[in-house]
Amino acid sequence: MTLTRLSSWLPRLAFAPPQTSPRGDTLVVIFLRGAADVLNMVVPHGEPAYYNLRPSLGIPRPDDKRARTIDRSLDLDTFFGLHPQMRPLLEMWQEKQLAIIHACGAPDESHSHFKAMELMERGVDDERGPASGWIGRHLASLDTGNTSPLRAIGLGNLPQRSLSGSVPVSALRSIADFHLGGDPRAVAQMRATLNTIYANDIPGQETLKILDILQKLDPSPGYGQAGYKPQATSTRYPESNFGLALRQTAMLIKAEVGLEVAAIDLGGWDTHFAQSSIMANLIKDLAEGLAAFHVDMADHLDKLTAVTMSEFGRRAAENGSLGTDHGHGSMMMVMGGHVHGGIVHGVWPGLDQSQITGPGDLAVTSDYRDVLGEILQKRMNNPAIGEVFPGYGFVPRGIVY
Amino acid sequence: MPISRRDFLKLTGLVAASSTLGSCRPIYNLVGDPPITGWPPSSASDFLALNRLTFGPRPSERVHMAEIGLKAWVEEQLAPDSIDDFACNLRLRNLDTLDMNGQQLFDLSNKLFDDFDLETVPNQLRQGTLLRQVYSKRQLYEVLVEFWNDHFNIATDKGDCYYLKTVDDREVARTHALGTFRDLVWASAHSPAMLTYLDNQANHKGAPNENYARELMELHTLSLHGGYNQTDVMELARCLTGWGVKEHFWRGEFTFDDNKHDSGDKVVLGERIVPGGQDEGEKIIERLARHPAAAQFIAEKLARRFLSDTPSAEIVQKAARVFKNSVGDIRATLRVILLDGLPLANPKYRRPVNFIAAALRMLNVESDCGFAVQEYLLRMGQTPFKWPTPDGYPDRKEAWQGNLLPRWQFAFALVRNEINKTELDLGSLTATSGSGESFDALASLLIGSALPVVERDRLLASLRSAGASDDEVFPIFAGGLLASPAFQWR
Repeated sequence: MTLTRLSSWLPRLAFAPPQTSPRGDTLVVIFLRGAADVLNMVVPHGEPAYYNLRPSLGIPRPDDKRARTIDRSLDLDTFFGLHPQMRPLLEMWQEKQLAIIHACGAPDESHSHFKAMELMERGVDDERGPASGWIGRHLASLDTGNTSPLRAIGLGNLPQRSLSGSVPVSALRSIADFHLGGDPRAVAQMRATLNTIYANDIPGQETLKILDILQKLDPSPGYGQAGYKPQATSTRYPESNFGLALRQTAMLIKAEVGLEVAAIDLGGWDTHFAQSSIMANLIKDLAEGLAAFHVDMADHLDKLTAVTMSEFGRRAAENGSLGTDHGHGSMMMVMGGHVHGGIVHGVWPGLDQSQITGPGDLAVTSDYRDVLGEILQKRMNNPAIGEVFPGYGFVPRGIVY
Repeated sequence: MPISRRDFLKLTGLVAASSTLGSCRPIYNLVGDPPITGWPPSSASDFLALNRLTFGPRPSERVHMAEIGLKAWVEEQLAPDSIDDFACNLRLRNLDTLDMNGQQLFDLSNKLFDDFDLETVPNQLRQGTLLRQVYSKRQLYEVLVEFWNDHFNIATDKGDCYYLKTVDDREVARTHALGTFRDLVWASAHSPAMLTYLDNQANHKGAPNENYARELMELHTLSLHGGYNQTDVMELARCLTGWGVKEHFWRGEFTFDDNKHDSGDKVVLGERIVPGGQDEGEKIIERLARHPAAAQFIAEKLARRFLSDTPSAEIVQKAARVFKNSVGDIRATLRVILLDGLPLANPKYRRPVNFIAAALRMLNVESDCGFAVQEYLLRMGQTPFKWPTPDGYPDRKEAWQGNLLPRWQFAFALVRNEINKTELDLGSLTATSGSGESFDALASLLIGSALPVVERDRLLASLRSAGASDDEVFPIFAGGLLASPAFQWR
């Protein structure tokens, strides 16, 4: 037994990436886990079937005089409107830095969270595809000349499946907690130990390099949890794990540590039961977080793209317990400085009996890989989308430029 | 490997003796690990096997395995009731909610004019679970309890699950961990915590809720490829309408409400369901538990937990056959997986709970397994009963490998005795320092054998050059072993 032998079969950087391109944007991928009820986030208020299918849960029309003003949807384009808790997103919508792609999703019709999430994070059509994640393959297929151990990170305690691949990726919950702790003398001893026992171990080496980088950020004056000042004094990230994750991402971007992709999870969207208040809180967290991030990143928007996704949507009709069951078509949002914003993209399939699919679901008219592929190609300078989404011929939808 | 018997005794003797030192120690140390009186060193295969059968082998367990062999060791552990666990139970004595029923737990949490106390009950459950994993002598049983709690995952954050999970843990996983799969599924389906977690308490006639019906087939019995479709999900949901939880008298008990039950015709998995109230769902549960797809699914999942992230098809087939022929007898299935499989097992990456429990067990640490320890588990990503989705904590290395730093933080905090209510007796350990053999004994304790001399001396030299004094070298060396790549695997 040696200290390192057991890790010798860990994935290694075994090949040089086939593509070289200059670094593009920082991409922030936000996964809404649990299948978000997108029909109540971007509401088709011009669709009468919507209100027939959701007599209790439907978000009232923007001009519905029977509803309280604060409960009505916020009109976007006379057909779609935002959930009232999405109000913080209106400003970036009006600035055309937020695009929505509706009826978007994956071909999988299993209605299983776990299969759908796995396939989506791997970026494949079925389980025979490569086991690595789509972000992992993006990183592996592209040499941007960036050797930072923070090329990509998973915000939170566990790195997301989408990040897995030949390039090691670490999880990071909080920069302020990312240190060995103790007085300098103790740290030196711990560090000497780790340097020796991880001398031949790539994931360990990467973690040690991250420690070095984050240490240089010097948490006390400018960047620590307490000392970090977002761009505008009116900007406040929500006091939530999601807010924390966005704040850490913003700090890393400003500190120019080489961050190319950040993966963030926002969970809790599996709303089978009494969903109104649950959804309101989740949407509030999402919208306030994104709005704060948008303001905080004002000087960096030119090199920033953020995208939200979810494994599938929910049934068009509400169920009997004021919730919604598993559906199909979902919705994505793309935010950034080079987004064709202020537009609901995609082909709206409608919600009439003849238009819904399976057990009564919103149809999928754009594949999620069309959106991601276009971002990777145009904003991340990756010409090898075929390696990221093998076997899928992606169609750019004109979301970014 | 060549660690002498004498040196190991010196180390483990001190470790064992250390638990009786100190005047302010609680009574349970008096009935803790007995001193070790003989040391036959573990073979590599015994060490690996014990690392799967326990939350990290204590020296006494290694000795016992060496004495009686794998087969007899497994048989002893498959009869947990015959293993005296007095010492562990003493540690649980202040966790008074672990034995309460739903109504009692609810009453205790109900602060009348103040908000409900949503913390006490789940905190005791978490602490009790960790204490058992670290201190129970019924280790294989505890490994299986964790397995079934993952399989029938319930997060305490959802609704009344904060108190109902305590009942579920006791009456589902703990009652049937080594019984039959049918009894497990049956108990889980009647568990108020499960019916709440997966919304079946809201599954009513004319207003079905598919959540539990789907996961009962996808995650609990047949698995995704087990041969059901969306229509089966919707039909099974109708069969389960009316299954719920009492909300007033006998709050927190299972109830079936015929008025909320859909008594219309249904077809599930190709069979017509005879209208029969609660009986409809129960008959389907019997079918699902005995289904060949369930045998395959559970055999593979057990093999993944005990043997390898990618267990061999051969062993899975054999275990599935035994599972099917024995009508889901968990002991019989385990005998195949453990006795046939363990000699050929591949390394598994330690999940965070296993990492912490193994460090505490192997070094004979005194810990309350309370908030301080759980803070590290949170950062590592595995707080018990907090996994939000019904698939349970992942059991594949990819899920856990990218988060090394909190493990390093725990390793060094432990050896520096910086974790609240957690005490490693370094005084006794360092008494043996200074000789190469003491470092070898420590390595043998934690990673199964001594380090090659070159590697050991390189590590010691790097510590000395970082200014470590004689007193500091031994604990930092121990922390380095815990932090090392080798210790992350079992």
